[in-house]
Amino acid sequence: MTLTDTRSSSDTPPAAAGSLSPTALERAIGTGEHEAIGRTFIMGSLLLMALSAGALAAGALRSLSNGGPLDVTDNLWNSALVGMVLMGAIPLLLGLAICLVPLQVGSKAIAFPRAAALSLWTWLVSAVIFAISLGLDGGVGGADLEASRLGMLSMGSMMVALSLGAVCVATTVLSHRPVGMSLARVPLFSWSMLVAAPIWILTFGSTTAHVFLGQISQANAAGLALRYEAGVAWFLRAPSVYMLAIPILGISCDLVAQGCGRRIARYGTVQALIAMFGVFSFGAWTQTSGGRENILWIAFVALAAVPVLGLLGLIADTLRHRKPVVSPGLVGVLLAFLLLLGGMLAGILEALNTTGSGTLFSFEAVGLGWAQSLFLLSAAFIGGLAALSAWSRVVLRASAPGAIASAAIAAGLIGGGLLATVFLIQGLTGFGLSLSFYNVWVAVAAAVLALSALLGLMLALVTSRGHARQPATAGAAGLTLEWAQDELSPEDQALVMRTIVASPYPLLDFRFTGEAVEEDK
Amino acid sequence: MSDTATLSPPEVDSPPESPQAAVAPTPALPPTMPRRRELIFGTVFVTAGVAMGLLTLIGSYLAARDAAGAAWLADNQLALTQPNMQMLTLAMSVVTMQWAVWSICRDDRYHTYLALGVTMLLGIAFVNQSTFLFKEAGIAITQPEGPLFYAVTLGHLAMVIAGLVFLLLMAFRTLGGQYSSRQPDGIGAAAVFWYAGVALYAVIWFAVYIQK
Repeated sequence: MTLTDTRSSSDTPPAAAGSLSPTALERAIGTGEHEAIGRTFIMGSLLLMALSAGALAAGALRSLSNGGPLDVTDNLWNSALVGMVLMGAIPLLLGLAICLVPLQVGSKAIAFPRAAALSLWTWLVSAVIFAISLGLDGGVGGADLEASRLGMLSMGSMMVALSLGAVCVATTVLSHRPVGMSLARVPLFSWSMLVAAPIWILTFGSTTAHVFLGQISQANAAGLALRYEAGVAWFLRAPSVYMLAIPILGISCDLVAQGCGRRIARYGTVQALIAMFGVFSFGAWTQTSGGRENILWIAFVALAAVPVLGLLGLIADTLRHRKPVVSPGLVGVLLAFLLLLGGMLAGILEALNTTGSGTLFSFEAVGLGWAQSLFLLSAAFIGGLAALSAWSRVVLRASAPGAIASAAIAAGLIGGGLLATVFLIQGLTGFGLSLSFYNVWVAVAAAVLALSALLGLMLALVTSRGHARQPATAGAAGLTLEWAQDELSPEDQALVMRTIVASPYPLLDFRFTGEAVEEDK
Repeated sequence: MSDTATLSPPEVDSPPESPQAAVAPTPALPPTMPRRRELIFGTVFVTAGVAMGLLTLIGSYLAARDAAGAAWLADNQLALTQPNMQMLTLAMSVVTMQWAVWSICRDDRYHTYLALGVTMLLGIAFVNQSTFLFKEAGIAITQPEGPLFYAVTLGHLAMVIAGLVFLLLMAFRTLGGQYSSRQPDGIGAAAVFWYAGVALYAVIWFAVYIQK
């Protein structure tokens, strides 16, 4: 950590003109600016999400061409899912957090900027290596031993890199807050990241240990596949997979408050509910044999729905009091919430099935388990896209074109929703996955999800190049500090940054106290 | 620290939520005021991840030993002398590490250097004892117990070596005048990591060596 205790490049004076000035590539690689790091994370994750979803579609088509059932133990299927989580959803949310969280807490830089940059480049290089290993019949559970070792190693590297990024974000929330911003007044996206970061770090710490074990053991390719299934795959299933959605809760509340121009009521309760969801998403203990078939697992999965429903009520209450300014971001995050509820429903059904196994219910636990994972994964991805669209003026420095944002979110909803629904139906009805219909369904859904990621990438590229610059939407003024740079004059920004924070919505406070600001001027 | 020159001042007690309070400008602080606790928070998160990894390895070791029964390490001799001495060495290092924290908080630089030096010496002794233990035990990586045994013990040894590097770096920074009673974070952060390493060794000592 200590190597990072230097000034970020944002604080350094520009280099003298001449041969010593860094090139664009050197600037891109060497930057410690959190916004640049976050943007690269976002764009890389969208591209790799498209690749992963494409691999999933290819896996389903391969099963179809072989005339066999949809094989959820296939290495292409498992690697694509790992890719969608570690190369798509989590880096997308982490990139948004690296970009936004310092601004939300009124800081000009992230904690340990060089560690954040290290996190980005380690993740990116590892993700590329993972994709190459998959191409060599490796990835996770592949038939080629060396390629599988490479795949497992790069997966572990991605986990370590993402954990490092999470450390930077959580430390920023804890130690970079301005005067008056106690933890009870931290904006909700930052709060949700503070809850998510330790869960990600602990979960990835545990899975990385199994990757390490796999590397030093003398296992063959089949042994490595077993190591993955026994020691790593649990993080893709409930309750661990809920950790993907923790930031979505914060994003939802922030975007609804902003859309309505109104404070979220019972702020402390909202924070407590997000923290509660975080607690119930800690699932490292389920890696033991029988870990998914006991009362504790049932309690975790069932109780995780309580904070989600509570937050839904508080969001509905806010929307009831004032009609929101409708934007693709707001609609997208509400749809992500819908998918999250789908995941919770699948979880409760599986918990009921486990409770009354053989007597009351006879659902297919495997199908319900996959349905949960895919609902949660889709919710995280669509929530990330919605957040990117809603915060585009902060993250990408221009307004995102509404048409592309809407198309990306809609495609994500259709793709992710269809992908999860096929397993929900399979879990409820017990139909085997041998029907070729399922292969076609999954291939189409995964292809639409890949299209959604590509549209998201297009959104980021087009917006960041400034081709879609538009005036701010009337009535959708920001409430929290990340909007200060976009909406206030430099003098007012300086004043806001020197002001004691008195509520979770400092910019709203600032607008309500305009007279005092005039006096100061 | 990373961005100490430009950012807002450290946290104070929050004012009441009133419009007046919302616009009361705070006095400008010196631009070089460091951020308190940043390094400690970062170290706590990293330590939690490392500890989780090691605990997972220990759990896997115990599960495998439980499954193997009496055949586990039947061909090897794991004498308790070395593990006991290692535990004692690390236990002593906790005292000297806390001595360093106590000293830097009182601007007693002489004792800080002395305490850091003794802690590092004890850490190096632990590394030395570990290598001796590995030779004595003679566990081959190719035997069934080998990967798990070395994953646990070498994983922890790597943590201790990382702690030594951390301590060395903090000692140099203290020599350079970066840490004092106003800003003792570096020593505190190194202490957090070191204590976690000792606590984890206590678990390994009991689970791997005492219970065998």
